[in-house]
Amino acid sequence: MYGWNGRILRVNLSTGKVSVEEVDPKVAKDFIGGRGWGIRYLYDEVDPRVDPLSPENKLIFAAGLLTATPVPTGNRYMVVTKSPLTGALTASNSGGFFPTEMKRTGFDLFIFEGRAERPVYLWVHDDHVEIRPADHIWGKMVFETEDIIRAETDPRARIACIGPAGERLAPVAAILNDKHRAAARSGVGAVMGSKNLKAVAVRGTRRVPLAHPRELKDLADQVVEEVKQAVAAGKSTLRTYGTAYVPPVTNEVGILPTYNFRTGVFAGAEAISGKVLSEKYLIRPKACYGCPIACGRLTRVDDPVFGGEGEGPEYETIGSFGSACGVDNLAAIAKANYLCNELGLDTISTGVTIACAMEMYELGLIPESDIGRPLRFGDAQAVVEMVRLAGMREGFGDLIAQGSYRLASHYGHPEFSMSAKKQEFPAYDPRGAQGMGLLYATSNIGASHMRGDIAYMEVFGVPKKLDPLSVDDKPRMVKYFEDIFAIVDSAGLCVFLAIRYLFEPTYNVEPVRITRLMEYATGAGYDEETLLRAGDRVYTLERMFLVRAGFSRADDTLPPRMLREPMPDGPAKGRVVELDRMLPEFYRLRGWDENGVPTREKLAELGLL
Amino acid sequence: MRIWIKLLATYQKYLPPDCSSSAYEMEVPPDARVEDILAQLPVPLDESVVLVNGRTPQPGQTLQEGDVLCLFPAVAGG
Repeated sequence: MYGWNGRILRVNLSTGKVSVEEVDPKVAKDFIGGRGWGIRYLYDEVDPRVDPLSPENKLIFAAGLLTATPVPTGNRYMVVTKSPLTGALTASNSGGFFPTEMKRTGFDLFIFEGRAERPVYLWVHDDHVEIRPADHIWGKMVFETEDIIRAETDPRARIACIGPAGERLAPVAAILNDKHRAAARSGVGAVMGSKNLKAVAVRGTRRVPLAHPRELKDLADQVVEEVKQAVAAGKSTLRTYGTAYVPPVTNEVGILPTYNFRTGVFAGAEAISGKVLSEKYLIRPKACYGCPIACGRLTRVDDPVFGGEGEGPEYETIGSFGSACGVDNLAAIAKANYLCNELGLDTISTGVTIACAMEMYELGLIPESDIGRPLRFGDAQAVVEMVRLAGMREGFGDLIAQGSYRLASHYGHPEFSMSAKKQEFPAYDPRGAQGMGLLYATSNIGASHMRGDIAYMEVFGVPKKLDPLSVDDKPRMVKYFEDIFAIVDSAGLCVFLAIRYLFEPTYNVEPVRITRLMEYATGAGYDEETLLRAGDRVYTLERMFLVRAGFSRADDTLPPRMLREPMPDGPAKGRVVELDRMLPEFYRLRGWDENGVPTREKLAELGLL
Repeated sequence: MRIWIKLLATYQKYLPPDCSSSAYEMEVPPDARVEDILAQLPVPLDESVVLVNGRTPQPGQTLQEGDVLCLFPAVAGG
């Protein structure tokens, strides 16, 4: 096998048994790798109705097909499991250095089963696999956990771990790797905590075998050169500002979530922008392994209240802790970000849940005695304090740690939760970006921009600009973006590079270069059609997991605010998400019936019967 | 009539040197078309997203007094 290692490491934490399995070449090709492989194994091995925090759930780390190859940004892995936040499956994505090191151990997948009796961590050094006690690091923050494990294993080990939030089974808990990168969404950290698995440390020295190494390297080098030229010409917005360049853009379009998504226009948008981040707090841009872009931000805030140092904040974090909470203090947003990384929290869900609590407090729906302090929009100190409490699940933080849907339901008003399938919205108000509305509503993992970020076209003009207020052709484009994101996730690539440089810059966004790269890596016979069908297959199999878990059309929806409360001002003024105009056509294009269930014909076409 | 030119992200380098915000005023003929004004701006148009008052302009659209013509580079988001 080329491109893949073709080997899975299975770790039963209940018994301590470790085993190695080979992967069927047909499964390998049909599901690409990374997210696709993870979904295939989860679907086959986990009953969709299990309690996500029970030993019967499994936790899968999946390195991508192009991970640990010369392809730039091929440095990502997916964490695949049943989510305690949504009850659906999830595949949460992270970059950094851990994924490449993981694949170089000679395994593509780690599958964790059962539950350890005491806290443990896993140490994998090529074929040497060891389950080690972790009592001495249980309770520690993410950065200290990494430092201790590296000292105990290998100076070049790469580590993924949970913080206090994951140990306390918070449904918004993340898994952090390389200290600052997060597989953040859907509560994957809580699943890891439920297994008493504090960390996974890897050191790999193996080279992934490639079918056509010279051709692969030539094309990879060409892509790197194109990015470098853009950077040298000062054209790389992501290098210059990181994703923090976005708030003034989404504010201009009128979709920057503000005051818990009451409106899409925020007076403080400039104050929380990448320009301010660069001028006041940036130490230097930081790249993941093998990335010529370097959108990461290493930052330091010198401030008596909000001081700290770390990576971020990125756009989504600025949207959730900033505008959604009415906060225009970038130092405070950075502090909330640093704390989330230390505690092991998802910045999107944590921030949007605090925004939900702020709105409900201001409306008198949550008594101040429950919170222990006032919690008004714009109160930066309150935001930072709520993050601390959420990470430790102390006081009111125990409710925040459960996400906005459970918090709002606790007080009898789930309608204030800005979530789909109980997962919090990313930082685009879908009333002003209709395709994003359809994406949030139908995403198999709950609201997520990373399931098929049609904002690329609706907002950012990549590769072509679409009118965000129109529903025309959106069902087709959302379906298509979902499929190509499934390909990119399964390849282990970063979408920032892939969509711009590995797909054709036309309206149809054809997967030309990415297909060649996969073929050079594997020699498995990929062409554009088989690859697109593989993306469709991954997405559809995910859907089948949801169907078996009891999800239906009723779950493919949005909060009443998005469907019935017109945007009060800005360019999208007067708009709601016209979901009913898009959903039936979307189902038809996907080959799903009117209840959102894949038809037998569709399953047969994809080889899933 | 006067309109506003707003430049975001890396296009801020094209702002006039004395401009302290993201936007500056520009005097244009009445009923000027969006395309005519764009041709006068120092930005690479084939790589740009263009908005008028935050919305996608129609081909041939004319500008009104006080309109905000916004440009930023087409780039993947966050």
